Amino acid sequence: MVIFICDDSFEGILCGVYDAWMSRLGHKNVKLVVDGQYNMELFAEYRDSVISQEKARSVIQAVRRKISEHAYAWIYRASLSFEPEKADWIYRFLIYGFHIGSEITTCLHIPAVQEIFRLNRAVGNEAHLLTEFLRFSEWEGGILLAVIGPKNDAVSLLMPHFSDRLRGERFIIYDEKRKKAAVHVSGTDWYMTEGEEAARLAELAGQTDSGEYAQLWRAFFNSIGIKERENYVCQRSHLPLRYRPYMTEFQ
Amino acid sequence: MLIQENLSIEEKLKILSDAAKYDVACTSSGVGREGKDGSLGNSRLDGLCHSFAPDGRCISLLKILYTNQCIHDCRYCINRRSNDTVRTAFTPEEICRLTIEFYRRNYIEGLFLSSGILDTPDHTMDQIYQALFMLRRQYHFNGYIHVKAIPGADPALIERVGFLADRMSVNLELPTAEGLRTLAPGKTREKILKPMRQIQIGIARQMEREGLLEQKGVVLPPSVSTALDSSPRHMPLPGEISASVPSAAAGSGAVSASSIRSARPRVIPGRSIYGNYGLGRVSNRKEYFVPAGQSTQMIVGATPESDYQMMAVAEALYQNYGLKRVFYSAFVRVNDDSLLPDLPGGPPLLREHRLYQADWLLRYYGFQASELLSKDRPNFNIFLDPKCDWALRNLGEFPVEINRAPYGTLLRVPGIGTKSAMRIVSARRQAILRFEDLKKMGVVLKRALYFITCSGKMMYPIRISEDSIAARLIGEERRKNWELGESGLYRQMSLFDDFHMEACSVRETRPSAAEAQETITGEF
Repeated sequence: MVIFICDDSFEGILCGVYDAWMSRLGHKNVKLVVDGQYNMELFAEYRDSVISQEKARSVIQAVRRKISEHAYAWIYRASLSFEPEKADWIYRFLIYGFHIGSEITTCLHIPAVQEIFRLNRAVGNEAHLLTEFLRFSEWEGGILLAVIGPKNDAVSLLMPHFSDRLRGERFIIYDEKRKKAAVHVSGTDWYMTEGEEAARLAELAGQTDSGEYAQLWRAFFNSIGIKERENYVCQRSHLPLRYRPYMTEFQ
Repeated sequence: MLIQENLSIEEKLKILSDAAKYDVACTSSGVGREGKDGSLGNSRLDGLCHSFAPDGRCISLLKILYTNQCIHDCRYCINRRSNDTVRTAFTPEEICRLTIEFYRRNYIEGLFLSSGILDTPDHTMDQIYQALFMLRRQYHFNGYIHVKAIPGADPALIERVGFLADRMSVNLELPTAEGLRTLAPGKTREKILKPMRQIQIGIARQMEREGLLEQKGVVLPPSVSTALDSSPRHMPLPGEISASVPSAAAGSGAVSASSIRSARPRVIPGRSIYGNYGLGRVSNRKEYFVPAGQSTQMIVGATPESDYQMMAVAEALYQNYGLKRVFYSAFVRVNDDSLLPDLPGGPPLLREHRLYQADWLLRYYGFQASELLSKDRPNFNIFLDPKCDWALRNLGEFPVEINRAPYGTLLRVPGIGTKSAMRIVSARRQAILRFEDLKKMGVVLKRALYFITCSGKMMYPIRISEDSIAARLIGEERRKNWELGESGLYRQMSLFDDFHMEACSVRETRPSAAEAQETITGEF
């Protein structure tokens, strides 16, 4: 067994797929793991997969041309999942994908497809809930700042929605867990930033106003519920507790 | 009446959201619109819920009243004229500021604006129009707006408001005209149905212009199609409205039991059986009249109507008035009034829940109200959801073979919804499906397993009898209650049992044609 260790990013996993495939060792004899999130195995040889734009690009091109755009979207979203087994599932999914072609996304009887379908759905669902539950607060100069702490790395999936919606606004979405931020300046363009710049943003998060409108929103939230119908179980199932520390009305 | 002029915006927001909270419609769906440069906001076809209140209901729009002053004295309403509460009103600027600032912070998806009747319906509608005009044109708000059409307001005003809003609604309040007479003395059935018909005709006319009627599966009732043909550019005159409703409703009710079965509507994934009255995706370049369609709401449990009557009314509204949604609102006793029922167990929440479940069965699963309930069984089963209940009464249609059954038949299986049915239909083209696969596709096997086969086999051997399946579905802990009340209800006839035939005929599931007609025409 040869185990390829790849970086925990979309490009990293694609490079791992490329290396594992091109090693010509046979699909049964290779496995992909995500760096830092695996257990050592006996009787296995470990190889580091080096990130390179060319390898990633050639896998992307092959997926889009030989399978489908739909499958490409699936593996992209699956790669954002927090589950460490995602890299190997993506590899197994692509083996079937290159064999079956564009119909692969309907083949829900294949375990690898089921797994990618499940990861894709879980990440998509969390991104959807974040578009609902994310809260901006205003910082000086009218800049909006939102802090989130999602399970999956969903920031990049939120940006098309918010940059279309808040075209004229400058806003930042900061992922507290991954120290990552997405910045929108104007129009529909946006970029991602990590490391130092993102760390500076974290400090700013403490300085935003918790001002007038946050107070009004809390007042609205408290008066809109009907006492006679109180149902906290229902509330929890729709709005899980893990989102609440980041939401204005629960602070 | 205590009218406060100098309240702070926070106090006003508290009072006017508190007064609006009994209105249930809070959806932000039905229109997909991209953002626009220079404006704030877009709209998603599927809608977003931004928060959930302690009662578990979603908060998607800023739900407020323009004012809680009202000339009516509806007995169930917290804002009735004779209630001694603090009265106030927003100014258009306040509404705009709140909406814009909440929207920027991603608190809300848009504005839901309703109002008590201030002086006259026309005046109120005009105030609402002013506020919406300011929000759309001065504040350049491009998000979702849901607004109430005030019954009795000038049709021209309603039309103007419709071009600014995404969804409009007129509340039916109570399912029968009689209930309305007793509890809402200021309102009449005709007054409520008139703006509803007007909005429907406006939407249909626009869809015809865009060539969308057929694509969206809309079949116009006769009165609407004549209105479209006769006066293509003018608003309908009051006289034309609702003139031919009873005949249309009667037509739907007079179908005999056997022809219902053969004439099951074609179920198209993701589309209401009654067609999508609304434009769906719209561009920013044109103005549209109520692109997200119209809705209404009925209060459940304030008057003694049965579930069957409620469903018949809802069905007739979907068929004849082209509504996108009918909402059901469990009655909350906010006023002490001798004509209101006393509800010691709290609002009838389970009943409301069953009505919503059945409502979905009507729109997306191809069921008819007469299949789910009948005059003799007028209320829903409290232990089983309407679909399980129907399946148990119609065990003859099961089991269904997963690998062959058409989409419409799969949808009738308890535990299979629209999404999993679609997945099954596309996945079985690739391979023969097994029970393990179904589980991964989102089928709720614990309900479905009694009603399906995979490659001709059931998941495990099951006694196909209504009583045993019902007991398993309901679960052990509730089994006792069940046995006390309803045992023997679901039992297949057998040659060797002594059945009392008169008891059996009571269990007849479908009403006779005459009965159905009577019930439904009685409504309108």
